[in-house]
Amino acid sequence: MTEPIVKYNKVTKYFDDLQVLDKIDFEIQQGEKVALIGPSGSGKTTFARLLMTLEEITDGTIEVEGEYLWHEKNEKGELSPASTEHLRKVRSNVGMVFQHFHLFPHMTVLENIIEAPITVKGKKKKEATKQGKEILDKVGLLDKADVYPAQLSGGQKQRVAIARALVMEPKVLIFDEPTSALDPELVGEVLEVIKDIADQGETSMLLITHEMDFAKEVADRIAFFDDGKIVEDGAPSEILYNPKSTRLKEFLERFMNTQTP
Amino acid sequence: MKIWNWNYAFDILPEIISALWVTITATVVGFGLALILGLLWTILIRSDSKIVSSIAGGIVTFVRNTPILVQLFFIFYVFPEFGISLEPFVAGVLGLGLHYSTYLSEVFRSGIESVDPGQWEVATALNFTKRKTWTRIILPQAFPPVLPVIGNYFITMFKETPLLSAITLVEILQTAKNIGAGTFRYTEPFTIVGVLFLVLSYPASLLLRNLENKISEKY
Amino acid sequence: MSFWEVITSILGQGLWITLLTTFLSAILALVIGFAGGLMRLSRNKFVRFIVGVYVEVFRGTSLLVQLFWIYYVLPMFGITLSAITAAVLAIGLNYGAYTSEVVRSGIQSVDEGQIEASIALNMTKIQRMRRVILPQAFILMLPNLGNQLIELFKSTSLVALITLTDLTYQADVLNATTLQTTQIYTALLIIYFVIAWPMTKGIQILERKLTEGRM
Repeated sequence: MTEPIVKYNKVTKYFDDLQVLDKIDFEIQQGEKVALIGPSGSGKTTFARLLMTLEEITDGTIEVEGEYLWHEKNEKGELSPASTEHLRKVRSNVGMVFQHFHLFPHMTVLENIIEAPITVKGKKKKEATKQGKEILDKVGLLDKADVYPAQLSGGQKQRVAIARALVMEPKVLIFDEPTSALDPELVGEVLEVIKDIADQGETSMLLITHEMDFAKEVADRIAFFDDGKIVEDGAPSEILYNPKSTRLKEFLERFMNTQTP
Repeated sequence: MKIWNWNYAFDILPEIISALWVTITATVVGFGLALILGLLWTILIRSDSKIVSSIAGGIVTFVRNTPILVQLFFIFYVFPEFGISLEPFVAGVLGLGLHYSTYLSEVFRSGIESVDPGQWEVATALNFTKRKTWTRIILPQAFPPVLPVIGNYFITMFKETPLLSAITLVEILQTAKNIGAGTFRYTEPFTIVGVLFLVLSYPASLLLRNLENKISEKY
Repeated sequence: MSFWEVITSILGQGLWITLLTTFLSAILALVIGFAGGLMRLSRNKFVRFIVGVYVEVFRGTSLLVQLFWIYYVLPMFGITLSAITAAVLAIGLNYGAYTSEVVRSGIQSVDEGQIEASIALNMTKIQRMRRVILPQAFILMLPNLGNQLIELFKSTSLVALITLTDLTYQADVLNATTLQTTQIYTALLIIYFVIAWPMTKGIQILERKLTEGRM
């Protein structure tokens, strides 16, 4: 097996005095799709946000493609907090799709997508536009290229947000409850796009979700979070149909009950 | 010649402070007038009569869109042409009151409009009279949220009182100017005036921010 | 002099100075306001403190006092300014303090998610500010900035008190020579109104358009 693309080592996170993550070890392999499930407040979102550098790590290390994300090694081999440049360099491997999309409201759909390739990667506008249109076509929204986000449905917004993240060609793509803010009838179109990306195989995925059926279909592995720890981690069939811990059993039971009343 | 002379500063301090009394009285009286006039404009603008409402609206618009200094000149220099000669203090208070009443009327309006329309319907459903609806239901809800804004205008008006020196009222700035003219030293008198304004208005605005937080917690 | 002659006389002599003072001090206020607003959000405590002191001093003392101080006191320190420079400096610094607060709150009211999205796209802090935050914050600030421009325009009448020959100053001069007091000050009020009112209307329309656009 090759080196893992993401490696958490004893990662701990506090918000003031509140501990939300407790010495977590975790790996994501090249191209692997991992779903994170668990009750709200269990730490799974914070876990992912640390990888996107949206929260600061309290203790432990995260490596992406063999390089420390939050730290730098000096000549003596000691770890010190990463400089902004280092953080940006390592961060460029990671992308994220948010629950509430966070599209830029002052830019058209196409401008949303080509913004980062141009300003961050320094691509030519012509090239970025060509690439942006290809990706828009992939998510089925080429006809909306010149529309502003306010005129899109929730499902369309999320597909644009996915395209915006994809165009940066991240090695790891985080999805933070990508369908939770959507009306039920719009969930399908977004899941389909995510599944397409998963089927292409190259991108590793970290998927926080409440859609168990979808998790089973897309993920190679499911990790169950509870109280700042990963309680179970394994193949989808194992986790969903053969839970070992009582916490996971309870969670799944409660979940099934609320899903199908 | 020293840039700053402490002895001189302490010599003139009592005279400037004694003029502070004029500044504060003008602020308080002017603000009282602004509150009353402001409420009046708000009521008149909400009147069912189109003529009354548009005249009141016109006055407010005109006053808001012209400088207070020119309004003060108008009251002080033009009124006597029609036989109304006013003391500088009275003219000043009138000018301040009129000018700020138009701002306060806008504040009152926004306060009233921010009350949930459902409250009017409830009052109707409970068979309140129009008067009781206003005094018991609407105004008690409209006032507290805009109280900090009203307070802010009080402080703003306080800082605007030096303008009254332009119509010969001897408040603190004019006192400082007179002292400066007599001694050819402006540094100390003008600086003292600036510091006095800061010393009075800054704590007041802190107090107000405190009040604002308390109110926003409550609502 | 007829009423019309009074108006044209005041306009002819004072309009240029009033407009020039308004324009220059508005530019200065805008520059200071944006720099100050951004510095107020700085991570550096010292920078925040310095800007905080500036804002409180200029908001806490009176514009007229600041005007007098700059015009009459600065020469004692060897800095003698022309009336128009003193006027632009005083009004610019005074309104700059208020503008910096508008800028700060405008930036702060941009949705937190926008910052997260731009971090996720690996933008630098400057790119984030320039491409994502400021364009959105600016729209939010526009009505407030517009209202400040009107207040600033009206406050330029104060410069007459340091002998700058604006509309108000020319009216005073005309009053001293012709004694047509009623006509002169009525004309002066009307002139200010005719300039300020279209600005007020314009901002009301802009504000309505912006709130509609956000719906």
